[in-house]
Amino acid sequence: MKYVRLQFSLVTGVCLAVLCLVSATAQAQLVCLPAPRLLTTMPMGGQAGTTFEVTISGEDIEDADELSFSHPGITAVPSVDKDGLPVPNKYTITIAQDFPLGIHEARVMTRLGVSSCRAFNVGRLPETSQTAANTTLETAKKLELNSICNAVMSRQKIDHYTFEAGKDQRVIVDCAAKGIDSKLDPVVIIADERGMDLVVERRGGMLDFKVPESGKYVIKVHGLTYDGGPFHFYRLAVKNVARDEIVPRMPSIKEVSAFSWPPAGLTDETLKPETEPNNARAEAQKITLPCDISGSFFPAADVDTFEFTAKKGEVWWVEVASERLGRPTDPSIVVQHVSGTGSELKITDLVELSDIPSPVKVSSNGYSYNGPPYNAGSSDIIGKVEIKQDGVHHLQIRDLFGGTRNDAKNIYRLVIRKAAPDFALVGWALHMNLRNGDRNALSKPIALRGGATMPLEVVVVRRDGFDGEIELFMENLPEGVTATGLKIGKGKSRGTMLISAAAGAPRGLTSAKFFGRATINDQVVTRPCALASMQWPVKNAWSEVPSPRLMADVPVSVCTSEQAPITIAPAEEKVWEVTAGEKLTIPLKHDRRSEFSGANITLNTYGEGFDRNKAFDAPLKADASEAVLDLATLKTPPGEYKIAFGGYAVVKYRDNPNAVALAETELKQAQQAATTLAAEAEKLQKQGDAAAKEAVAKAKTAQAAVTKADKQLQRATAKAKPKDIVDIIFSRPISIRVNPAKKAK
Amino acid sequence: MNTLHNTASIRLFVFCFPVVILLSCFTDALKAEEKNSPVSFVNDVVPVLTKAGCNMGVCHAKAGGGQNGFQLSLLGFETLDDYDSLVKEAQGRRLFPSVPEKSLLLTKASNETPHGGGIRLPRDSEGYQVIQRWIAEGAHYSTGNEPTLESVEVEPERGVVNMGETRQLKAIAKYSDGSVRDVTEVALYESNIKSMAEATEEGVVKVHDIPGKVAVMVRYQGKIAVFTASIPLGAPIQEVPTEKNMVDRHVFANLKELGIPPSPVCDDQTFLRRVTLDICGRFPTREETESFLASTDPKKRDEVVERLLRSPNYADYFASKWTPLLKNRRDAANDITSNFAFHAWIRDSLLANVPYDQLVRELLGATGTVVTNPPVAWYKRVKDPKDQLEDIAQLFLGVRMQCAQCHHHPFERWSQDDYYSLAAFFSQIGRKPTGTQGEDLIFHQRGVAQAKNVKSGEMLKPMALGDDIGEISPDEDPRLRLGNWMSSQDNPFFAKALVNRYWKHFFKRALIEPEDDIRDTNPPSNPELMAALEEHFINSGFDLKQLIKLITQSHTYQLSSMPNEYNLQDRQNYSRFYPRRLQAEVLLDSVDQLAGSTTAFANLPPGTRAIALPDNSYTNASAFLKVFGRPNSASVCECERVQSSSLAQSLHLINSSEMKSKLAAANGRAAQLAKEADKPVEQKVNELYLIAFARKPQPEELQTAVQFLTTPVADEKTKPDAKKTPTSKDYQDLIWALMNTKEFLFNH
Repeated sequence: MKYVRLQFSLVTGVCLAVLCLVSATAQAQLVCLPAPRLLTTMPMGGQAGTTFEVTISGEDIEDADELSFSHPGITAVPSVDKDGLPVPNKYTITIAQDFPLGIHEARVMTRLGVSSCRAFNVGRLPETSQTAANTTLETAKKLELNSICNAVMSRQKIDHYTFEAGKDQRVIVDCAAKGIDSKLDPVVIIADERGMDLVVERRGGMLDFKVPESGKYVIKVHGLTYDGGPFHFYRLAVKNVARDEIVPRMPSIKEVSAFSWPPAGLTDETLKPETEPNNARAEAQKITLPCDISGSFFPAADVDTFEFTAKKGEVWWVEVASERLGRPTDPSIVVQHVSGTGSELKITDLVELSDIPSPVKVSSNGYSYNGPPYNAGSSDIIGKVEIKQDGVHHLQIRDLFGGTRNDAKNIYRLVIRKAAPDFALVGWALHMNLRNGDRNALSKPIALRGGATMPLEVVVVRRDGFDGEIELFMENLPEGVTATGLKIGKGKSRGTMLISAAAGAPRGLTSAKFFGRATINDQVVTRPCALASMQWPVKNAWSEVPSPRLMADVPVSVCTSEQAPITIAPAEEKVWEVTAGEKLTIPLKHDRRSEFSGANITLNTYGEGFDRNKAFDAPLKADASEAVLDLATLKTPPGEYKIAFGGYAVVKYRDNPNAVALAETELKQAQQAATTLAAEAEKLQKQGDAAAKEAVAKAKTAQAAVTKADKQLQRATAKAKPKDIVDIIFSRPISIRVNPAKKAK
Repeated sequence: MNTLHNTASIRLFVFCFPVVILLSCFTDALKAEEKNSPVSFVNDVVPVLTKAGCNMGVCHAKAGGGQNGFQLSLLGFETLDDYDSLVKEAQGRRLFPSVPEKSLLLTKASNETPHGGGIRLPRDSEGYQVIQRWIAEGAHYSTGNEPTLESVEVEPERGVVNMGETRQLKAIAKYSDGSVRDVTEVALYESNIKSMAEATEEGVVKVHDIPGKVAVMVRYQGKIAVFTASIPLGAPIQEVPTEKNMVDRHVFANLKELGIPPSPVCDDQTFLRRVTLDICGRFPTREETESFLASTDPKKRDEVVERLLRSPNYADYFASKWTPLLKNRRDAANDITSNFAFHAWIRDSLLANVPYDQLVRELLGATGTVVTNPPVAWYKRVKDPKDQLEDIAQLFLGVRMQCAQCHHHPFERWSQDDYYSLAAFFSQIGRKPTGTQGEDLIFHQRGVAQAKNVKSGEMLKPMALGDDIGEISPDEDPRLRLGNWMSSQDNPFFAKALVNRYWKHFFKRALIEPEDDIRDTNPPSNPELMAALEEHFINSGFDLKQLIKLITQSHTYQLSSMPNEYNLQDRQNYSRFYPRRLQAEVLLDSVDQLAGSTTAFANLPPGTRAIALPDNSYTNASAFLKVFGRPNSASVCECERVQSSSLAQSLHLINSSEMKSKLAAANGRAAQLAKEADKPVEQKVNELYLIAFARKPQPEELQTAVQFLTTPVADEKTKPDAKKTPTSKDYQDLIWALMNTKEFLFNH
């Protein structure tokens, strides 16, 4: 009975504690120190060989002073007003005539460093922009054939356009939205002149319209759920094309999964098309291994059957790309041994292949993140086929999503090869795993504050049995910035890249290079590491599904206007030596530049060989602490290692306190000027001077400037008020050498 | 026992199986020569229990829970189970072989031991004696050589029965050894339309005074036969409208056979209003009405049908019919994308006139994510394979399989094997979570499709309502094979279910009622017409617009709703148009159209019409839609849409703040009319009538309206012939009066 009571009180206690915790965290937790984010550009692209003006908007980019792109062929200069002064958030852009077409990325340099990126599309067609509301048939905007219109969708509205075309012309209407970072799920409708719908596309595809009668037609665009707002932008292309022309879609950013395609060195030299009909076994397309085949899951419920002979003991690797080519497919393969014919036909399953699993557990949509919200896996295939007996084999490939879909654009590429061990890497800014229900999925530019260390989580898709360790490194970093890779261990899937800025490092921005290096078959192999980011700073993944994607390059910046809240570093810059099986104590120094909520930061250990080290607390109000690594428990074998300590801390953050002093100075100056001008005006008035009127006007203007400066001071003061923000804190990397234990005599 | 019903199933059963308490006493059910042969449990005892009502839902049927722990299979479909229940269960206490008449089974049935069901088998009844003999003979399950029942037949199978007359039916059981038995007295009888005819326990059919076709189901031990009675009115038929197409041919032939003279073809304005409402869910605009009435083109009625079918309003309106049936339900805020996409997929498919079989196939075999393939949303709403098969069967085949989950279908031939064989088609649906909570992506999971009959434990391969559809390889999505079967030319259900459903849309009453309960025991009221419509629909390539054209261009559809002196009683032969109240969304749009007002709907652009609403969330948010019965997307049954009238509806139209605000809308019609000072009042009244009724007012209506609008409220200072300029309030009152007329509220 006593036991029961104890249990009951324990349960009650836990419930109350959870309740208190939930109540305490009911208010949204501010997550991550401010980072500049470029959210919109208008227009979202332009025609090669033209110069035009772009308007930008975003978070924490008010003081942006430079717009740049992932390709140097686009240049931007701040637009200026009639007085030659820069117009905020406006830039004049010039795109070179021979510029590579497609998606590029724009970003701005701000007080806090480089912003997150926005897709910017360069094409050959003339461009226009929506300049006035066109939400009715009467206000429809006229489009010329073979042009692109940049526009923004308003909530609960339908944008209207018109075009004129002749009978039997083939008109393509394509709308880029998700593929250029927009939040819009576009619905595109072609209607007759009276607005009566003729054809509709709601799945992100393009309309291929044969004009029934010469005349005027209407294009309507709206959101799938009639959502809208400044982040629901789109580019609408209207093209007149030849009857048999293969029309490509408008360029699109890449999904994260695309990082693992293509395998290094893949060319089209041996590429062969599938040959229909090949659905039935009797019509199987004969192939010899190795092979490289292009095909399509068309028509609906298509099955492509390939026949090859192989001998027992042979091992083949099969790779399929379709989803990674941007198609909404789920390829699946079954390989079977075939013997006999007719009624004696015997089919024996050898292997089923589907999906490239994410190398690490991806966050489920539960209460708290239980993994990164990035999926590096794919519904494509990388798999092994071990031949169990000599003879004829059938490989059947089908799309598990293709039962009823008739779309010849659902293509695939099938590669069957002997083992070619290799790897592909992708990284992203490490994500917080908060247990208080916060489900932010923020885009995080690599915008370093002086003294900061930013961790990137790096995962690997391994090919064809490669399981060796992979070193990570970066090049072309700004001055004062260093990068240290915590390697991906043998057979492991995850590593960390630490990018550190020296305290007081000069302001800088580069497009860095990010690589992984491994030894495969005694050859050192270097592969690029792609960088992924969220399209949007999603505050709550329960109300908005995060959209991660690959970036075009790896911009890294460091700023001087702010320093990191704390720098945790080993007391000495050296290689820390320890004998296997013994304890290593590393004194840490805390270079503190901010106050924190809470007394301690709980630090976990990152780095191959040490990541099982027990979490420990380091005081946030002290200048030093120490980390103890018990190699007897960790059983770390002798060798060279790099590690770091990381955790979360709640910073009492003051946003740009320098702006307060600046605003105070400006206010004083404005007040002085106003006082002087007021006195002068009064004097002139008393004198009955003709210039009195002008002086009074000047005094009034000066007084307005005082009011404005006062408001600016109030805003700056409010922003600079300390706010609790939780963020990731990482130590500087630490080098460790584990020496072999002396053998017992 | 894993076949226990949940409450919903019990309710359903009670609903679909009206209790018929049979207080029959058996006299001479069995022929004299049979009395000396051993009593067969299957052929003799079970029929006694069935006729006595022992295995009915509310008594001892398992389906109803089985009173006091004594459970029998419903209507004796599972004789082996019944034998175990009687002989082996409860330590065998139900039988007392040494003194058979002391058996609990008999003392309860005769009420010697108090019995909740009263006396079911009097001691002197033949049934009592059959059971007594069976017990005395050792209560064996089998006599070793009894034949099995193969079929039951009814004599006659069809016939003409005049109003008020009766007809004795004879039920004949046929056995595997070639023997036959007259089972008239032990068979059960049930009419499919009790207002037209009723059947007694003894098999006597009594016909009432409604002309038409009625069926009486004869059931004996799981076998069924149907007697179809034709009830003529017998009135003289002077003339019928000309036959425009095969619809008229079959309808008018039936009317001639029954002697029901049809009403004449309606006038142009009635037709235009009717067909615009039925195809596009809206009133014709004033311009459409004026243009149509002015036209002298003899083909103008056919052409207006063509024009309406090209209109997006057609797609909107019919999407509003299908969307609730496909359970596009908003349960959480993040359902919005899925619901909008699914609704739009239906709407766009109708706009593009995607063949019906393809539409169903896309739904049935949906894979991928909702945004890339919206019919996947159906699998979000309907997750359980049992619900999937039941919904598909009821919606697209008109077959209600729910009963067969737990027991043999009481009115049909469907067994539990049929049920789980159908479930097997849905056994290889793979799911993976997506970023949206509660939303999976759907794929075909490789493997052998099969489902377990929960009663027998047998793993069953896919079979389509008893049809063998061949071996399905593990690589093949079995749902696609089901789709092939459904759309095959000789499928007996698929086309029938659709044409029946659409017929009801245009005529208020389906050829088979309810429209989703197609079975041998519920034949169509005009079988020849049904067969012709099916054939036409299949031959057209399952073309929905062609079907609508065929129906609406017929003179049958265009008959006046005004009854003649004979056909007022007609409810199923289409001798006149049956008026029906506008459905909730259409009525709301019509009110807005007449009042010149708009209704704002969350997340949708201003001006969106109620018939274009994508899901049920708008019903919950609108008092108007709720009170007029817009469905809540919870059921595949069209009956979820309430079309009956209520006091709340009248009060809402007469006196709700919503109606008042619509009438008084700042830019509404009343305000506009009041501003148009140069336009004569008569012209304004004309316009209002054209909008509300698609006709001009009669002279007396015009006079009344003008008088109302222009006569000031009288007081002692008012001159007798005083006139006033009508105000916005006056027009509001007139519009209010118009929208509260039956002519406005009904499609007629």
